[in-house]
Amino acid sequence: MRVAFKITRRLVAGVQADLRRPHAFAAERVGWLRCRVADSPAGSLLVLAHDYFPVEDSDYVEDWSVGARMGSAAIRKALQLAYDTKTALFHVHLHDHRGRTWLSPVDSREAAKFVPDFWHVRPEMPHGTLVLSRDSAAGRCWLPGGQVVEIGEIIIVGAPVVRILEEHGEPPRTPELPRRT
Amino acid sequence: MENRLARQSFLGEHSAAVLAAVRVGIVGVGGGGSHVVQHLAHLGVGRFVVLDPDCVEDTNLNRMVGATVEDVLRATPKVEVAARVIQAVNPNADVLPVKSAWQERGELLRDCTAIFGCVDCFAAREQLETAARRYLVPYLDIGMDVHPIGSEFSISGQVILSMPGELCMRCLGVINEAALAREATQYGAAGGRPQVVWPNGLLASAAVGLFVQLVTPWHAKPVATEYLEYDGNRHTLTRSNRLVAMLGQVCPHFESIENTGDPFWLPTAELAPGKGSLRNTGSLQPR
Repeated sequence: MRVAFKITRRLVAGVQADLRRPHAFAAERVGWLRCRVADSPAGSLLVLAHDYFPVEDSDYVEDWSVGARMGSAAIRKALQLAYDTKTALFHVHLHDHRGRTWLSPVDSREAAKFVPDFWHVRPEMPHGTLVLSRDSAAGRCWLPGGQVVEIGEIIIVGAPVVRILEEHGEPPRTPELPRRT
Repeated sequence: MENRLARQSFLGEHSAAVLAAVRVGIVGVGGGGSHVVQHLAHLGVGRFVVLDPDCVEDTNLNRMVGATVEDVLRATPKVEVAARVIQAVNPNADVLPVKSAWQERGELLRDCTAIFGCVDCFAAREQLETAARRYLVPYLDIGMDVHPIGSEFSISGQVILSMPGELCMRCLGVINEAALAREATQYGAAGGRPQVVWPNGLLASAAVGLFVQLVTPWHAKPVATEYLEYDGNRHTLTRSNRLVAMLGQVCPHFESIENTGDPFWLPTAELAPGKGSLRNTGSLQPR
């Protein structure tokens, strides 16, 4: 199934600004996009981002092997949010550069650990992860039923309207280095 | 026909492909909507869904682009006239004409790049804008009116670009309880309202310009929200003072997540979920 992810330009700007705030020890920040869902007449799934919830400062744990690591409290609160509001949750973080971006191998590995947990609380909803660059984005969606797909189209709704289409093929291979030493 | 769009190449290197790929919804293709249809066809927009429940009548011929005497005699659905106009200009266009009230086929508008609302009452405007925001679709509204002032007449109108996440028509004062209540008391008694071709054309042109700057901007500062007021007696189209005063403020009318997406969405049989549960474990605060 094809997935289209829509988000307003105002929300993207707010998320980027929040994710750029320095943290006491984490090298980057992460947060959650709360989303609702709809079927499109063309048969694809529309994921519609509504608002943003930053991971609280105290919910990071120190781990220098990655840019940021959430503690269990961060995951528990996000699970509770999805459960209470019957919504789809998408983890979001920032690759602070211009141009196309992809989930890194670390992003992929870590998301595969925690995203499926959201089916314990909202099995009927898709959940996933989104990575923003300064002017682009990419993401992956875990569909109800277990299928995992790349988000085929990300639409930033604003002036201008920007459509980011998934490009098939491998992202550039770069060595995976610790973000801090 | 390779050079069909050559004169608008300043819209961008890939503008022809962008315009061919967008899908535009047009609700109401009688007066203003018929101009919008014609403009978008000439621009090279590739995918249309046009909705209107009515058929062509003789009273439409003073303003409906593309309608003919033959259409009056045959009572041609207005959406078929719209499809004919589009495909006469661009035979490759994908046009979905729907002879129906848009509320009955609202799902067809969900994945549009933009929706043009060319309807003639406040209630319909509000419903369309609400639906557009639900699916994060930019909404462009046009409308005109003729008011008697003593023995003379005043022509007025508006063009609005309502962008999800930005100021809405309630913020801009276009939709308000007084207007809705006044309209409700006149329901069924309004009769045929005065309409003429040139304000419809002018307002439609401005709305199409706002649409183009969203999808293939030709300058660095496209606007996300616009409210242009038309004074048909002075022949002016100017930015509303209300918008100027409110720019930078946040719309409070669609804050609830209940206003986004399908209220009762459930996965199709193709997506069969498992089950689970969770105890209360704290809460997150939105930023």
